[in-house]
Amino acid sequence: MSVPLLSLIVLLPAAGAVVLMFLRSEDAVRWTALGITGLDLALSIVMLVGFDTTTHEMQFTERRPWVPALGITYALGVDGISALFVFLTALLGSTSVLASWTAIESKVKEFMISLLVMQALMLGVFCALDLFLFYVFWEAMLIPMYLIIGVWGGDGRVYAAFKFFLYTLAGSLLFLIGVIVLYFQGGETFDILALTAQDLPFPVQSWLFFAFLIAFAVKVPMVPVHTWLPDAHVQAPTAGSIILAGVLLKMGAYGFLRFSLPMLPEASVYFSTLMLMLSALAIVYGGLLALAQDDLKKLVAYSSISHMGFVTLGIFALNLRGLQGSILQMFNHGVTTGALFLFVGLIYERTHSRSIADYGGLMKVAPVYTSFLALFTLSSMALPGTNSFVGELLVLSGGFAANLALGAAAVLGALLSAAYLLGMYRRVALGPATVGARYKIRDVNAREMVAILPLALFVLWVGLYPKPFLEIIDASVKHLLVQVHGKEGSQ
Amino acid sequence: MTAAALLQSVLASLPEILVITGACILLILGEFVRKGQEHLLVWASIAVVLSAALATLLLAGEVRPAYTGMFVADRFAVFFKFVFYLATILTFLLSRKYADIEGIGSSEYYVLLLFTLSGMMIMASATDLLSIYVGLELMVLCTYVLTGFLRKERRSNEAALKYVILGAVSTGIFLYGVSLVYGLTGTTQLNAMAQAVTGDRLDPGLLLAVVFIVAGLVFKIGAVPFHMWVPDVYEGAPTTVTAFMSVGPKAAGFAVILRVFLNPLVAASDAWIVVAVIAVVTMALGSFVALVQDNFKRLLAYSSIAHAGFAILGVVAGGEDGIASVMFYLLIYAFMNLGIFGAVIMMRNGNSSGEVIDDYAGFAKPHPVLALLMLLYLFSLAGIPPTAGFFAKFYVLSALVERGFVALAVIAVLLSAVAAYFYIRVVMVIYMREPQRVFEPALTPSVRATLAFTAAGTIGIGLFPAWFLRLAHSSVFGG
Repeated sequence: MSVPLLSLIVLLPAAGAVVLMFLRSEDAVRWTALGITGLDLALSIVMLVGFDTTTHEMQFTERRPWVPALGITYALGVDGISALFVFLTALLGSTSVLASWTAIESKVKEFMISLLVMQALMLGVFCALDLFLFYVFWEAMLIPMYLIIGVWGGDGRVYAAFKFFLYTLAGSLLFLIGVIVLYFQGGETFDILALTAQDLPFPVQSWLFFAFLIAFAVKVPMVPVHTWLPDAHVQAPTAGSIILAGVLLKMGAYGFLRFSLPMLPEASVYFSTLMLMLSALAIVYGGLLALAQDDLKKLVAYSSISHMGFVTLGIFALNLRGLQGSILQMFNHGVTTGALFLFVGLIYERTHSRSIADYGGLMKVAPVYTSFLALFTLSSMALPGTNSFVGELLVLSGGFAANLALGAAAVLGALLSAAYLLGMYRRVALGPATVGARYKIRDVNAREMVAILPLALFVLWVGLYPKPFLEIIDASVKHLLVQVHGKEGSQ
Repeated sequence: MTAAALLQSVLASLPEILVITGACILLILGEFVRKGQEHLLVWASIAVVLSAALATLLLAGEVRPAYTGMFVADRFAVFFKFVFYLATILTFLLSRKYADIEGIGSSEYYVLLLFTLSGMMIMASATDLLSIYVGLELMVLCTYVLTGFLRKERRSNEAALKYVILGAVSTGIFLYGVSLVYGLTGTTQLNAMAQAVTGDRLDPGLLLAVVFIVAGLVFKIGAVPFHMWVPDVYEGAPTTVTAFMSVGPKAAGFAVILRVFLNPLVAASDAWIVVAVIAVVTMALGSFVALVQDNFKRLLAYSSIAHAGFAILGVVAGGEDGIASVMFYLLIYAFMNLGIFGAVIMMRNGNSSGEVIDDYAGFAKPHPVLALLMLLYLFSLAGIPPTAGFFAKFYVLSALVERGFVALAVIAVLLSAVAAYFYIRVVMVIYMREPQRVFEPALTPSVRATLAFTAAGTIGIGLFPAWFLRLAHSSVFGG
């Protein structure tokens, strides 16, 4: 293929951000931003349609020298693991623009520019095949995200933005040292594929594993470095929360899949029990915290910690079902939690309250809103027929195969999620219509519907017919397993 | 010295001669410049620097030793001289309006800057401890005066006095080290020193001499424990002079340090341990003390201490990559630091000093473009990609790791995470606070040009570092 499709996908939002700088009217800014994210989504669908599911090789690859003296290249490519995330990022990009249509009232242009820059960088992270390029994308995301939280966030936005920035920065900087060490250990190259093929001595692997772990664990986030997440989520504007939950959290897990497992296989196997324990801890602890929340956004935020625990559990189960499940579950979590944050944002726009105690009987005043809320709530608690069921089932069966006790702890987390999600839904939507008396609430309008429907579609599609999604990741996951266990020679 | 050798020497030092001659002519002609015509001085000074730059470029082809081994015009010197030219020209451009507002726009101001420049150029080319001394003194004497240029301000006077006294002591220490070296080896030429030592390299006398020389030089780049003058001088001096000093004389200090450390005599001793400790302590002090500053100029002073510490790490790493990384770092630092100082200078207007960080509250609202530029410089100083500041740090770190100093690299990144806090705190004030009062920045075309140029450098080197990296690399062993 001669068209540099991935470069187009990555650079289109960045180019769009430049275009936005010259627009005057706020409406023109909104429509242009929507048009660009829509076009980006279309391009990512083109990419998925042209994706060859029979191979684990990188596809749509591009390679240009960037800093030849240090062996740094501008290299892009996708395999089964990253293709799904490119699509997810593009999908949530247009959702975010729609979610910010009226919610952002001041400095609309600057906000949309930040959003598009963010979009470009996130896509870059998933497409990068050069470790240095990956790091540049990864770290540069701090700038727009810091501004999105800090400028357009809630009352405690400054504190939240600082916390987010410093946590992530501290984690990433150790990752940077890891990257440089890897560069010299792995034959002075930043090429991810070449580094994957290296066989590093075990002590080096262990050190690198922990250097990488700090960066990725902060992003996921894993307990005990999760404390930035509730603050950031609660204070961020809706679009910021969607991006954070939908895409940013996936990057940590993606880092495990792309770097820790294939490059440091022996260390990954050696420390897998530790990682499983941390995952189970996150599942249960996140669930318990979510149970105690009155703030809707905080509840969803803590549920994210719990759900991302499932993802890391699946990854470090280091078997086929666990890995398949965790990748699928990341996609599901992006869709479902993105939708839940969207819903919290929608109701917040109307009532300016996120406290569950302020609601009740929402069903009677906004029936369409509550029906869709029901769908996403059920999806989040992994009811059969919804997307998360497929993912969670795979993760759990993989987890049980890896470690019985920790698998059981994860089941406890699944029970907890039913408790806090159903409790939340009951208190918000059911009961006497107290909320209608206090606020004048209109149901969802056409624009909001356009944002909701694609997400609802994927909840049901993955839930009822997950085969095409599993096919995309299948070859790459199998190859990853060969890389992990083949080198170790145990399986 | 034969006539041919003399001619060769004059040719090699032509850029220095041009700058000094130009400065002398301006000193005389400056008397005839009428009030309201001061901009002519700026353009004339820039013309002097540009002619020197042209001469440097034309002579850059080969290595030219001169003055019986005291001076050399090699690519190492050329690289540094261009950093100096850059800093000087941008300072001239920034000075015009600022000098008017502060009432310091006399010809002496520009002439002194040119003399400082010539001192720095001699330092970059010097290959003998004595010629280093001459350049160093020429440079610092001019900066003493420039620091005290705001004659009516107490802060400025106090800073100048402090600077003179401490500077004189450090020069004394340096000279004492030089005399010890001469006593022990019978020479002051850097190349001849190593050959002259036949006995024990760890001779306490020799070690003492090296330590004294290092101490004298470390003072000039403002590293711990000789950093005390930096915050006061940076705060008290006219902001344009501060901007200039944080880039030019600092780079000149590094040029000399690199030359001395290229010397096998020093490289063979265990001086690198001392230097590593200095680097870490300098970074730590700069980063932590900057956290509590309310004055922007003071904050940038501590930030420049921290950056000096980071650059010294490249000296610790040594080798081709280490030296290239320091040079690359200084080039990038020149762009981003002059940029942020340009923003501070432009804020000096009417009755606002532009020095209090809280004055910048909500600056993004009325001036989105200027705020974006400040954001760019600050994130670059913090070392966040894709800005040039990230690449500068990355290259130093990779030089460190290559030499096996992984622990030092880890300490360095942790301290730079601390440093990131105070840079993004300023970003927070600019973007996330409500405006307190209206600010009208003093934006002249020349300030605009400076900001645009430094921003282009800050983002451009970040995105396309390859060419600049090659330049720094080829300049290391070009001589």
